[in-house]
Amino acid sequence: MTVTIDKPAQIRAGTPLLAAHDLRVVFDSERGPVHAVRGVDLELAVGEMLGVVGESGSGKSTTALALARMLPPAGRIVGGSVLLDGDTDLVTASEAALVGVRGRRIGMVFQDPMTSLNPLLTVRRQLHEALRAHGFGDRRAREARAVELAELVGIPGARVSGYPHQFSGGMRQRVMIALALANRPDVLIADEPTTALDPTVQAQILELLDTLRRELGTAVLLITHNMGVVAERCDRVAVMYGGRVIEQGPVAEVLTAPRHPYTAGLLRAVPRLDTPAGTRLAGIPGTPPDLALPVLGCAFADRCAAVIDRCRTEQPDLVPVTDDVRSACWVPPTEAPAHEPGPIRRNAPDPTSPVLEVRGVSKSFRSRRRPAVAALTDVDLVLYPGETLGVVGESGSGKSTLARAIVGIHKPDRGVIRVAGKGRLAREVQMVFQDPFASLNPRMTVGDIVADPLHAQRIGTPLERRARVLELLERVGLDPAAASRLPRDFSGGQRQRIGIARALAPAPSVLICDEAVSALDVSVQAQVVNLLAELQAELGLALLFIAHDLAVVRSISHRIVVLREGRVVETGPADDLVAHPQDPYTKALLAAVPSPVPVAVRAAEAV
Amino acid sequence: MSAAVIVDETPAPIAPTKRARNPYIRGLRTPRGIAGLTVVALVVLLGLAAPLLTRYAPTFQTADALLGPSGEHPLGTDEIGRDLWSRVLFGIRTDLIVVVSAVPLGALTGCLLALVSVTSRWADVVVQRAFDLVLAFPGLILGLTVTAVLGAGKSTVIVVIAVVEAPAFGRMLRGAILSHREREYALAARVGGAGRVRLLVRHILPNAADPLVVQIAVSLSIAVIVEGAMSFIGIGVRPPEPSLGSIVSGSVMHLQDHPSYAIGPLVAISAFVLGLNLIAEALNKGVRR
Repeated sequence: MTVTIDKPAQIRAGTPLLAAHDLRVVFDSERGPVHAVRGVDLELAVGEMLGVVGESGSGKSTTALALARMLPPAGRIVGGSVLLDGDTDLVTASEAALVGVRGRRIGMVFQDPMTSLNPLLTVRRQLHEALRAHGFGDRRAREARAVELAELVGIPGARVSGYPHQFSGGMRQRVMIALALANRPDVLIADEPTTALDPTVQAQILELLDTLRRELGTAVLLITHNMGVVAERCDRVAVMYGGRVIEQGPVAEVLTAPRHPYTAGLLRAVPRLDTPAGTRLAGIPGTPPDLALPVLGCAFADRCAAVIDRCRTEQPDLVPVTDDVRSACWVPPTEAPAHEPGPIRRNAPDPTSPVLEVRGVSKSFRSRRRPAVAALTDVDLVLYPGETLGVVGESGSGKSTLARAIVGIHKPDRGVIRVAGKGRLAREVQMVFQDPFASLNPRMTVGDIVADPLHAQRIGTPLERRARVLELLERVGLDPAAASRLPRDFSGGQRQRIGIARALAPAPSVLICDEAVSALDVSVQAQVVNLLAELQAELGLALLFIAHDLAVVRSISHRIVVLREGRVVETGPADDLVAHPQDPYTKALLAAVPSPVPVAVRAAEAV
Repeated sequence: MSAAVIVDETPAPIAPTKRARNPYIRGLRTPRGIAGLTVVALVVLLGLAAPLLTRYAPTFQTADALLGPSGEHPLGTDEIGRDLWSRVLFGIRTDLIVVVSAVPLGALTGCLLALVSVTSRWADVVVQRAFDLVLAFPGLILGLTVTAVLGAGKSTVIVVIAVVEAPAFGRMLRGAILSHREREYALAARVGGAGRVRLLVRHILPNAADPLVVQIAVSLSIAVIVEGAMSFIGIGVRPPEPSLGSIVSGSVMHLQDHPSYAIGPLVAISAFVLGLNLIAEALNKGVRR
């Protein structure tokens, strides 16, 4: 069937479909106004895929919401314009006019497919509602269109009568996309649509967006923190920092020859599969600016290696540096010092006797009405002193169950876990957790948190413990004065350092990192990975590094174990496993990792 | 690698915060919290300063029964000539003594039972069924039963209120402990070698106690109402000792011709309950941040 919705007689040549100019957004908070978006310029052309990248707090999601005037009540647009078709300014448009724009002209897809759907309505019903809201056809036409939409995004027509909870995360995100596309919008704004998904599912969803763009001509604004996603899927990219776009241009140019030091730093911080294991990741020192404070000059100045006096006093504008690329930096790109990342200092592991041995471990979880779920089945692994063993797998692979079994939180049903050394398990094996916000007791000071294992195991006198805390805080790169503060005063990266200090307190021989860096922004992730690698080399720790991101795991590991549905499917030296994967699942995982090298460039290199 | 790279991330200076650190204080500093505190403080002060605010003892019988409000008797007198202003003030006192001893007793009982119930599945079943049993009884039937055993009086009212309030505290703390036990910080404490007692006392309880503080304010207001109801039907505080409930009870017979009789105790009860509820809400908002 053909869908006819009034479209403006096709867009005047040269006018972007959606153009934001000097867009400014302020949020009210208890600490006063937070200037989340500070003058953003963006253009989106018909049928284009524009990537907006930035770390948390860069203002990318706020920009996305502001484009469709969907900010939460605390936020408001305080300046600038958003022109649709070059004439309708959405910033000044009436709410009634916006209702016609949202859904019909601009569709949106959000990050969390688990909460973005109404759990009480079937998928068919939700598609229906979306169509009816814009007065689409009669009942029967909507019925047909709902099935058609579902099939468009790869959901079998028979499944539309199901409820959201009957769908997996990837399938739910497909439903979200179908909903956004229901009224054939010209623009699809996708805010981190794949961040909550496993890499193989992420690849499918991105492929779907790409297909839709090609076949329907929908322009896509893809917001992501993942440079690899941008490199693989986008035509153009806008890099955001501190509420502003600091560089914008064609992907092939920006990613291969970044003009802005932040873009360059971000690219260096991304772990890549095409560099050998043990390559040091280059973190960007420092933390992003506090948007509640006024920024004088360039927001990146404090973290920038190429900073000059002018950067601290005058804010650079986004100006053309080549025909297509615009950058906001006072320093000409050639003068920015480029430092090559050296290898991490690594000691060869000592393969005489393992510190940790896992033999034939199985664990299943029973719940009342459902059949038992096997989380681990006959898992074997060994870890030698001074070795880093990477454990990779998607959600549900049993990674976390394995970690928890080793530290004694879960008791395995079968098999043995042997830890060398005598004394208590807690003395020998420690763990760094995933969530930097949930893993620190909010009521305890940092000093008490770090000293907690010492207290719990009655190690040392109070004076010795205090000295140890200060030593550890310094060791993980924190100011020892942090000891008297509460966790909430610290950023995610800093909290993760506190978690590492706590884990190191009883001087364990094995350190388990369960997704310890996956909640962090890449520039901070690189700092923490380097810290872990360095600590290992110095202290001779054995590291069990669990993550879903193969590229990060490879950068730090000697050997890698691939887990799938609770079984070890492949294990081998890091470089070998990546270069010559044996198991089809490992191959699929590797293929799904987006590389931050633009497709065109890779193709050129291959020739 | 150079040490410079890891020491680079010094903690950002915390912006000076206007917000109070303690979430309870933060909640009470809102207009709602201040209003609640003011009303409650006023009622409590009236009760505490009772001897200074009236010339009559609450049980002293004047010659004039059922007088209307006048300069001598601001709220009038009751059917046997006692000054109602004085009886209301001392009634507030009685109520304060009852609720301030009963609610902590109930909270303590409930919390101890919650701690027992999280130790094992078996204990959990026993304690939870006991709570079910208490909750299944309508409050007044429970009051009558306990009175039948202990006899009427202030201490009976205290016991009844404690028994009625205990399950709310017990259920709340049990739920909070169970949910906090699975959070990452609690797992981290276990990995760090914390035993059961240390895990509970040092880590979980300080975090799980937040809703209890709110519940105390709610329970105080419920306690005032329970005392009123028990005294109203005559199984509460024994006459001639005044309590807010017993004054209301006495006024019922005379509402037709002396409506002002009931005003004093009713205003006191309403103000007290309203103020406590405002405080509870304010605390709740503060804790939820």
